[in-house]
Amino acid sequence: MHRRQGDDRLPVVLERRRLYILPTRAGAAFGVLLMLMLVAGLNYANSLALFLTFLLAAFALVVMQLCHRNLLGVQVQSLSAAPLFAGSPGVLRVWLGDPAGTARLGLEAAVEGSPRVAADAGAGARACLDVPLPAARRGRLRIARVRLSTAHPFGLFRVWTWVHAPLEVWVYPRPLGRLPMPVYGELQSGRQARPAAGTDEWSGLRPFRDGDSPRAVDWKAYAREAPLLVKEYSLGAAELRLFDFAAVRLADTEARLCQLARWVVEAEARGERYGLVLPGLRLEPDRGPEHRHHCLAALAAFGLGPGG
Amino acid sequence: MSVPDTAAGADAGRGSPRPLLWACAALGGGVLLHADRVPAWAALLALGLLLWRVASARRGRWAPALALRALLALALVVLVLARFRTLNGLAAGTTLLILMAGLKLLETRTRRDYFVLVGTGLFLLLAACLDRQDLLRVPLYALEAWVCCAALAVIGAQGLAPRAALALAGRALLLAAPLAALLFVFFPRLPGSFWAIPRDQQAVTGLADSMSPGSILSLVTSYDTAFRVRFAAEVPPPQERYWRGPVLHEFDGHTWRRAPDAYRPRQALHFLGTAYRYHVWLEPSRQHWWLALDTPAHSPDLHAQLTYDYELLGSEPVAQGLAFVAVSYTHTAAAAPLAAGARREDTALPSGSNPRTAQLAASLRGRTASDAQLVQAALEYLRGGGFVYSLEPPPLGADAVDDFLFRTREGFCGHYASAFVVLMRAAGIPARVVTGYLGGEWNPVARFFVVRQSDAHAWAEVWLEGRGWTRVDPTAVVAPERLRRGILDLLPQGLSVSERMIRSSPWLAYLLQRWDAANDWWSERVLQFDYGAQLDLLARLGIRTPDARQLGWAFMLALLGWLALITWHVGRGGRAARPDALARAYARLCRKLARIAPPRAPHQGPLSLAAMVAAHRPELAPAVRALLERYAQLRYGPPQGAGQARAVAEFRRAVAQLALP
Repeated sequence: MHRRQGDDRLPVVLERRRLYILPTRAGAAFGVLLMLMLVAGLNYANSLALFLTFLLAAFALVVMQLCHRNLLGVQVQSLSAAPLFAGSPGVLRVWLGDPAGTARLGLEAAVEGSPRVAADAGAGARACLDVPLPAARRGRLRIARVRLSTAHPFGLFRVWTWVHAPLEVWVYPRPLGRLPMPVYGELQSGRQARPAAGTDEWSGLRPFRDGDSPRAVDWKAYAREAPLLVKEYSLGAAELRLFDFAAVRLADTEARLCQLARWVVEAEARGERYGLVLPGLRLEPDRGPEHRHHCLAALAAFGLGPGG
Repeated sequence: MSVPDTAAGADAGRGSPRPLLWACAALGGGVLLHADRVPAWAALLALGLLLWRVASARRGRWAPALALRALLALALVVLVLARFRTLNGLAAGTTLLILMAGLKLLETRTRRDYFVLVGTGLFLLLAACLDRQDLLRVPLYALEAWVCCAALAVIGAQGLAPRAALALAGRALLLAAPLAALLFVFFPRLPGSFWAIPRDQQAVTGLADSMSPGSILSLVTSYDTAFRVRFAAEVPPPQERYWRGPVLHEFDGHTWRRAPDAYRPRQALHFLGTAYRYHVWLEPSRQHWWLALDTPAHSPDLHAQLTYDYELLGSEPVAQGLAFVAVSYTHTAAAAPLAAGARREDTALPSGSNPRTAQLAASLRGRTASDAQLVQAALEYLRGGGFVYSLEPPPLGADAVDDFLFRTREGFCGHYASAFVVLMRAAGIPARVVTGYLGGEWNPVARFFVVRQSDAHAWAEVWLEGRGWTRVDPTAVVAPERLRRGILDLLPQGLSVSERMIRSSPWLAYLLQRWDAANDWWSERVLQFDYGAQLDLLARLGIRTPDARQLGWAFMLALLGWLALITWHVGRGGRAARPDALARAYARLCRKLARIAPPRAPHQGPLSLAAMVAAHRPELAPAVRALLERYAQLRYGPPQGAGQARAVAEFRRAVAQLALP
């Protein structure tokens, strides 16, 4: 999908000429009602009925103007989406605001295949809309455009626009599989994997990320209205693991990828150092969010062409 | 869904009962506008369903099954049919609409249902406009329109606060009003109608085309306006302000009726004296009569016919009030003798009835030389016979005229006119009863006469050779004041208490006159603004032969002007929003800091401002920096949900306590 005008560079302020407006279903019904009233008023040559009809028709025009005005000048500040695991719903976070600080109510956002979500931006504040992303297959989910709209006030018209700020979201393979985690034999001979808890030293808290084990979450802090935090432990002695695609004893490629994804997630959660070997690719053992992402992205992209 | 920086949407939850309540209010308003017009059971049923639905808005409720609802709908249709015999027509249609809307309440739960209810409310409002157009009701209609639009706002915005919804709808309606007025003036009207308008059977007070002894009485106790008159130049003297309605020829001993509808040529007349030119605004009467001063010279309008008796008979009942201009004379002379058939008809009496009246006629005939003298003698008889004007006369027997002339001697205009005409006919003089109105109240504010139903009157016309039909008012002989004053001044017991109060207080009477003037303006300028009035207005604007293109251009120009106006207004309204508490506290901090350091540049953020302050007043830097960092965190940091408001309040206090030496 390519657009003649080129892509939008955020932040972008919505201008007049990119806004479209049409009556909603309620608006169309209102129009039919107005036509009926007009015919009745004309037929009875009744001035009061005609004035009422004209008043409501003019009211509809004012509503159209108000609705248009509600989206005009809105600033799309950012679009972002965290990587997600295949089969689980993700979220596209849209930040909208008004540079002049005017209140904008009933702002809606949607992507293709998702329902609309709505939020208000009060005076001088921003609106944050979390658009659910449809569950996808592993790979890269491309969101070419986002539909911003509003029917506020009155719901008789909906004004909308497309924001073309293409976004790619990594869809990691779903972490599945029951095979035990292999040990990087040569370097760590004689040592067995062991649970993360227990002997490790507590090293601090960090924000929750997808794939973190619920057991690692600091629920007490969460109950005190803190964000979702995860307790991190540093291992006294770093364990090294190497997950080799060729060594997974599963027939199906997808199942192997899922198993590898699960190992990566678990090893990272335990704070272990792990590496990944795929046909044509080798990631040396390491740890940390970036490494985890590299590994999971490599799994996500496995076997798919570039850009797929 | 999240509502980050403000709590604006905190109560706009999906489960809010507000949309339902507002939809019910919009519908209920529509039902109330018709409450006194539809059968009581229908209004009560609809209002009861409304209350039930509102009461069950919060808790779980019982909803009848589809089959039951269909059965109910069918039963209600049958009930309406049984009551009205038709579903066509305003009253039947409105009743049906109210009942069906009530049934709709049983299954109302989605947004679409709420929209349907509001639409029904608007349609009921339209029906009310078609039904009644009194100026007094207009505020009610405006209120209902406002409530309906506010309900749309609440439904559209998922539970907007009531005051915000009313303000929003009110603003939109005010902006819409100028365009509505433009459309009202320029939108092409129909010279006729698309389909025939079904007649309504509801009776409104007005002259009937028959008269029995008590029939006028139902009119004279009503203070309603019958019509208004403005004379172009000369005003006839009070004793000549007779407004002609139905002229009655046939008498069966009890009731007077109009002549049968055979075609008869109008009596040729010479018009004498002043030609009075005047404007009449008729109130709705659902009768065919167009009331005109004594003898109209010609028919004022294609839709009215000047009859044999010089009545103005409209082709349609006056359903919505109308206006016409006429020219009348109060003195005429016949240009041709009375046709033999007409003479026979106007001297006919039921045979054998009222023998004593016949004796009186014979004795009068014996005493006088001419018809004119006989008329005078008969009037003398009434004047000297101890007759009393009364609105509560005793009942009359079989020979009603005999009974009245020789026993009771008490009655009002109907009795006197009837007795006088019978007496004339018994003496062989052609005579007829004319019903209509006498007089009218001068309104000095609006400079017109108001003729009320209480001015209803009946008088006689006799044929005098050489003069033709001559008006004789026997009531004026008995109660001469009746010519100058309304019947209700003569007989105040006919008035209600409030009407007596109005009449006894000059300023109340003045207010009433103002109100009449307003009604007149309303009736003339708004209600009567039809195809003809539109052509007149366009002609005054210089468009003699309006064609669609010219009108289209004029209208488009006006529309563009209006659009520019509302675009400007809506845009301006949008900018005027008040900054939130955090922005106000920050502005205050910036003003304080401007006293110790150069003012903040528009592009400068809080942290850069902190650095600048630190450069100027290093000793104050820690406190200032802490505050500015706090602001940056509150404004740009991650949202803090419920704690946000508290944090902003703390920040505001800290700004207030900041002392800058």
